Amino acid sequence: MKKITILLSVLGIMLITSCEDFLDVKPSNYAASETSITNAADAKVAMNGLMRKMTDVNYYGRNFVIYGDAKGGDFAIRSQGRGLDYYYSFNHSPSSGSGSGFWTQIYHCILQANNLIQNIQSMEDAGNGSTALSEYKGQALTARALMYFDLVRIYGKSYNMDKTSYGVPLVLEPLDASAQPTRASVEEVYTQILKDLSDAAPLLSQSKQNGYINYYANKAIEARVYLFMDNYTAALAAAEEVIAATGMYSLYSNEGWVDSWATPYGSESIFELAIYPAEADLTTGSLGYYLLRLYKVTGASGWFMASDYWITRMSEDLTDIRWGIMDYDESSPTRFGSSLKYVGGASLQGDKSSRSAVNVKVIRLSEMYLIAAEAALGLPVPDKTKAATYLNEIRKRSPALEPATDLTVTVDMIIDEKSKEFFAEGLRYFDMLRLNRSIEYNDEFITPAVVITHRTKIIDRTFYKTILPISQTEIDANPAIADQQNPDYGN
Amino acid sequence: MKQLIFVLLSVLFINAGMAQTRITGTVTASEDGSPIPYAVVLVKGSRGVGTNTDVEGKYSLSNVASDAVLVFSYVGYKTQEVPVAGRTVVNVEMVTDALALDEVIVVAYGTSTKGTFTGAASVVKADAIKDVPALSFENAIGGKIPGLQITTLSGQAGSTSAIRIRGIGSMNATNEPLYVVDGVPVIAGNVSQMGNYTTSNVMSTINPNDIESITVLKDAAASALYGSRAANGVIVITTKQGKAGKPVINFKASVGITPTFATDNYEAASPEQQVELYYENFWNAGKYDGDSDEDASAGALAQLNKRFNKHGYIFTAPDNTVNSLTISGERAGQYFDWEEVLFRTAVYQAYDISVSGGTEASNYYTSFSYTNDLGRSVINYFDRITGRMNFSQKIGQHIEFSTNINVSTSGKEGFNDTRALGNNYFLQSRNLLWGLYWPTDYVTGLPWTTRFGSYAYNPVYYNNEWENSSKTQRVMANETLTVKILPELILRSIFSFDNTQTFDHLYYSALHFSGASVGGSVTENSTKINEIVSSTTLNYNKTFGSVHTVGALIGWEAASNQTDYLMAKGTNLPTSALHTVATAGKLDASSYYWGHTMASMLSRAEYNYDNRYYVSASFRRDGSSKLGPNSRWGNFWSVAGSWRIDRESFMQSVPVISSLRLRASYGVNGTLPTSNYGWRSLTSYASKYMEQPGGGVSTIADANLSWETSYTSNFAVEFGLFDQKLSGSLEYFNRDSKNLLQDVPISTVTGFSSTLQNVGEINNKGIEFELFGQILKSGDFTWTAGITASHVKSTVTKLYGGQNIIWYEPTGGDNRVKFIYKEGESTLAIYGREWAGVENETGKNVWFTNNSNTPDLQVDGRPATYSYSNASEVVLGDVHPKLFGGFNTDLNWKGISLSMNFMYKIGGYTYDAAGKDCNDDGYYWERIMSLDAYENRWTPEHQDAMYPQRIAIDMEDVNQKSSRHMHPADFTRLKSVTLGYTLPADLVRKVKLSGARIYFNGANLWTLAAWKVYDPEVNEYGSRGWEMPLGKTYTFGIEASF
Repeated sequence: MKKITILLSVLGIMLITSCEDFLDVKPSNYAASETSITNAADAKVAMNGLMRKMTDVNYYGRNFVIYGDAKGGDFAIRSQGRGLDYYYSFNHSPSSGSGSGFWTQIYHCILQANNLIQNIQSMEDAGNGSTALSEYKGQALTARALMYFDLVRIYGKSYNMDKTSYGVPLVLEPLDASAQPTRASVEEVYTQILKDLSDAAPLLSQSKQNGYINYYANKAIEARVYLFMDNYTAALAAAEEVIAATGMYSLYSNEGWVDSWATPYGSESIFELAIYPAEADLTTGSLGYYLLRLYKVTGASGWFMASDYWITRMSEDLTDIRWGIMDYDESSPTRFGSSLKYVGGASLQGDKSSRSAVNVKVIRLSEMYLIAAEAALGLPVPDKTKAATYLNEIRKRSPALEPATDLTVTVDMIIDEKSKEFFAEGLRYFDMLRLNRSIEYNDEFITPAVVITHRTKIIDRTFYKTILPISQTEIDANPAIADQQNPDYGN
Repeated sequence: MKQLIFVLLSVLFINAGMAQTRITGTVTASEDGSPIPYAVVLVKGSRGVGTNTDVEGKYSLSNVASDAVLVFSYVGYKTQEVPVAGRTVVNVEMVTDALALDEVIVVAYGTSTKGTFTGAASVVKADAIKDVPALSFENAIGGKIPGLQITTLSGQAGSTSAIRIRGIGSMNATNEPLYVVDGVPVIAGNVSQMGNYTTSNVMSTINPNDIESITVLKDAAASALYGSRAANGVIVITTKQGKAGKPVINFKASVGITPTFATDNYEAASPEQQVELYYENFWNAGKYDGDSDEDASAGALAQLNKRFNKHGYIFTAPDNTVNSLTISGERAGQYFDWEEVLFRTAVYQAYDISVSGGTEASNYYTSFSYTNDLGRSVINYFDRITGRMNFSQKIGQHIEFSTNINVSTSGKEGFNDTRALGNNYFLQSRNLLWGLYWPTDYVTGLPWTTRFGSYAYNPVYYNNEWENSSKTQRVMANETLTVKILPELILRSIFSFDNTQTFDHLYYSALHFSGASVGGSVTENSTKINEIVSSTTLNYNKTFGSVHTVGALIGWEAASNQTDYLMAKGTNLPTSALHTVATAGKLDASSYYWGHTMASMLSRAEYNYDNRYYVSASFRRDGSSKLGPNSRWGNFWSVAGSWRIDRESFMQSVPVISSLRLRASYGVNGTLPTSNYGWRSLTSYASKYMEQPGGGVSTIADANLSWETSYTSNFAVEFGLFDQKLSGSLEYFNRDSKNLLQDVPISTVTGFSSTLQNVGEINNKGIEFELFGQILKSGDFTWTAGITASHVKSTVTKLYGGQNIIWYEPTGGDNRVKFIYKEGESTLAIYGREWAGVENETGKNVWFTNNSNTPDLQVDGRPATYSYSNASEVVLGDVHPKLFGGFNTDLNWKGISLSMNFMYKIGGYTYDAAGKDCNDDGYYWERIMSLDAYENRWTPEHQDAMYPQRIAIDMEDVNQKSSRHMHPADFTRLKSVTLGYTLPADLVRKVKLSGARIYFNGANLWTLAAWKVYDPEVNEYGSRGWEMPLGKTYTFGIEASF
């Protein structure tokens, strides 16, 4: 009896004394957000997080890259229903096939950038800044600029079509859960992009930063942005600044071009996102698998392959070294429409012995040459010699083709070259919209024939579905944006 | 010496007056003739003269007057007065107490009797569930308790069920009740990490045969003592205790088979019909595109030939229409029966043995069981071994120790029965696997390994290339110390340790499509949940002046719950013979833990006057780690009263009414967030990059997040008529739940799609009715029947900020049903576009616009459109039924018993989430369609059709959340029928048994449903998807006791 009384007393005391401690249970794999970035090492972890989130399937990890080609006329599909074919068939509405993954994922990444920028800013305001911190800030600002640039091109009309139309909501700091932001104009978004880029440039390292953004990545993005604004002078200047960094970057040689796809961080890589096994590796759902021929390996489903138009364009020169990255597709053993860029070429060994965990080369030096070429042609006083010179640096990858001269060089030649060089790298569609070209789809390639009802065979940027709708989910949660739906998407 | 004096005195007495004799006899139970040990035998009117029966039910009393009256009593039995009438042997059959009001029930922190308990509680006894072939008790109590809804999430062996008590009181936090086993809250729900493959219902670690009773606490008065976890009701499970007497050995064996599903489930059209649909689909698309008959037919045939030539079929249509469509080729006329290879007759076996007994000082109950359930699907099994030891020992007069230990291990294999095209065999059998596909290549005879055109893989081949299993081991140990400090003051201290470990194993060979890219993979997950609860209560009970009874209870409780998770994964396996991480070329691992704690103070006071007027009140204060320091403590309380009208003197003049009682209660209890850390804004480190740590903001949280609080009132009348031949109750309840937590969708521009907030209020109110009657009793024949009926109205009453919340059913992560929380609407209000059916002339879908857009046409006098995007979304209907419950009937004649249990549901809708796959308009042309789709589609010959024309032009109509997929939910089902025969006692005694019984049980044998395409017993969200349906189970069993 006495023992029991003692036992109970002990129990009672245990309960009363340590109640609040007993009730403070912290997670073991999360940190409190308020205190998670307090120094440069923390900022580095946050930057890793941002880069990783940009490799998500809904962004550079796959879908955004596919998007830029599936809609651009260079891709064709053999059969419907394999996956993401709604990009190709334009089967979009706010409630189904809205492609809202871009919106959601990119804004999630923007939040990470904003959070990092804000934390570094407050450390700097408190007098605790450092070179390392400001470099991370520069990287975050540049990443934010790139993300807004991608968003505004997916959801907004081309800058040179109607820059006063709706762009995307412009958010520069972490928001409360109750925020219901509305859309800024296309022009406002571009203005912010340029501001972020120029704020960031002086903060960035000018040496190589494999897997991260450096000064030249910033300049390369700037070249792209100015090109999309038809500001050729500035685009040329930015592109040439990158080209001039010869100690840092150089064009692949013709001999080395094919192998560059089996190597991470090649000499052309200005910004390359790393995809490692057990990280953003999408295995059989990876970009590489999406482009492999049906049944080539288990899980390969031949989602997308080259259109007849692209094959024809490439066939101008059967010795074009870029055929080396192409494999035959399911339609015929002689039709080389399947790209091996994301599986490391014919070896299928990727760039680090994995077939699916293969880096995504977001910006390559070749693009700077083609931007420079196009910008030189677009100058108030076109510099055709310069345009031809820059173009030929890339065009020489088709040895049988005559080099361009100041007399023969045209925007079409440059755009065609870009199509050949950047097949499956997600650039084509946006160039076609920017240049207001009509886009023709190789619907006959679908066998047996299928009627595509959501668009006509040939479209141009006046077709309302060339930009995606704001998803119904966003409108449901953010009614303030309902009236800002893209035209003709109903309600 | 004493005896001698006694004898002498006796002799004196005999001589002195009336005849005094020694009386002996046996006390047995009327229901089975078994002896009742320790029954009390008293001589009426003689204070202190009496005895107890011995372990064989025998007693003897000396010196009893020949005209004396003996009083026999025993707990749970009617007290009987038997005149001696000159006999020397008085045998008595005790009859169980039909006045169920005096039945002892287990309630929060103690026991009570039905007649005195002031809260709303229902009890299911062991007998009611013992014959149902159930792995877990939930599966056996459907339809038996008013206000309780049980939904089975899947027909796979070992699946989890969901229980809802009195509607839905929460949005995002749990709607699951609290489970209390032998006085201690325990871990419940799914504990496996392999949600995609198999769920492990942790309740199935308790052998249903060990359960003595299940009490469902429904109102605040009954449950408020469990405070912050009680808003959804409490299920109190009490396991069996040994009864004093000789050891009783019980053996039970049953074998069940499930050869078929309980109902049709999206039965597929025949292969020929599929081919016809396929042709028609493309023929129509060709015509839509302006083709001639020739071209349209050629296009359609090209599609068919492209897909099926390689499987040995050739298609022609000489007159370019479906009428001449002919199938030829090597395999013509033969179709592969996938159902045959994917499903089998399920076999269920269960063996139980228990030994129990006791003396006055101690009692024990031990059991051991083995259950094996091979599910209908060839990759689904469940097996379990359980052992239990319940022991209690009195030490001296004041102290009692009792220990309950339950040990179980179970294994399960299953498949992902969400809408997973690659893994769900049920889906595949009805949507992807054409009879025209074969597991072997007809040219080479080799296994077919590439994907079929419908994207299914050949399961015959791939079944051997992967495996999954989930093993659960649970140890529950419960130590109770009871100290009788004073006769009226009892201290009870319970310490409980509940440890559940689940080991999940998932293997894909390098040949399997899921393992090919990584050279084969094997994953092991270990999840260990430790719940430790310590509670101490002090209970005071005393009657003053014979009419004032006072009870008081105070106590403390602390609970801590921690889950340790460990994952190891290996890829690039050296050989298909070894399925272990250790052999892998590449390793990946993760490990972390999470948990929560709670500290509580509790108290209760009760008073009754003359067993007529009862009042009670309870108060509990809880602090939880799931909430921030500002809001973590909450107070929960209740008050209740009842009036036994039948005990009033004025009722004596109404003999028809044998019992009558009124009850009322009001109280407050709460619900905690599901998430352990929902109030903390967190940074996650799940974004590794280049083999370095990577972090990011992962939640935007509200640090002042608070409890959900429920305010419940309850009124009931309980009655018995004609000497309890007819009894029943009528109950009304009203529950207002406030500060409800919800993952509110927020603008994704914030970087997140939702955040947890206290957003609104819900009201649940309803009526529960229960009636039980003895219809006939004549000689050996008795016939009883009962019915339960419940009506619950569950409404969103307020949304803070007024903004509607759109949400999707969480099952399978597939957004199966779209719902809206809107003030004034149901808590399960289906939201979407209103389908107006099919235009007879054209076979097109038409939609009611429900907006001011210019309509294309009028349907039933309402504006309508051909394009769903011109139609607005509206509230389409309510999932909640108007009425649900069960009815049962029992017939007994001598040893034969026949009992039937039905469950029913009237009103409400089910949502067909699988229809978009197997009954579409031509969008999924590579898939097979249901017979329903085939028979009811529009064709020029069949214009008055339910479904539109099939045409392969990528119409998305079927993929819209719409009323097209809603069907009336009404159904009734014979959940269980049992035919039993108890062998005559004299017969079984000859073979040295004390009892033997054989029985047959049939589960789900008969169903009547308003909508017949799929099983109407749907999940709690009212939706039917591709989960494995229930089967018809036929079980044979024997029971014997020694």
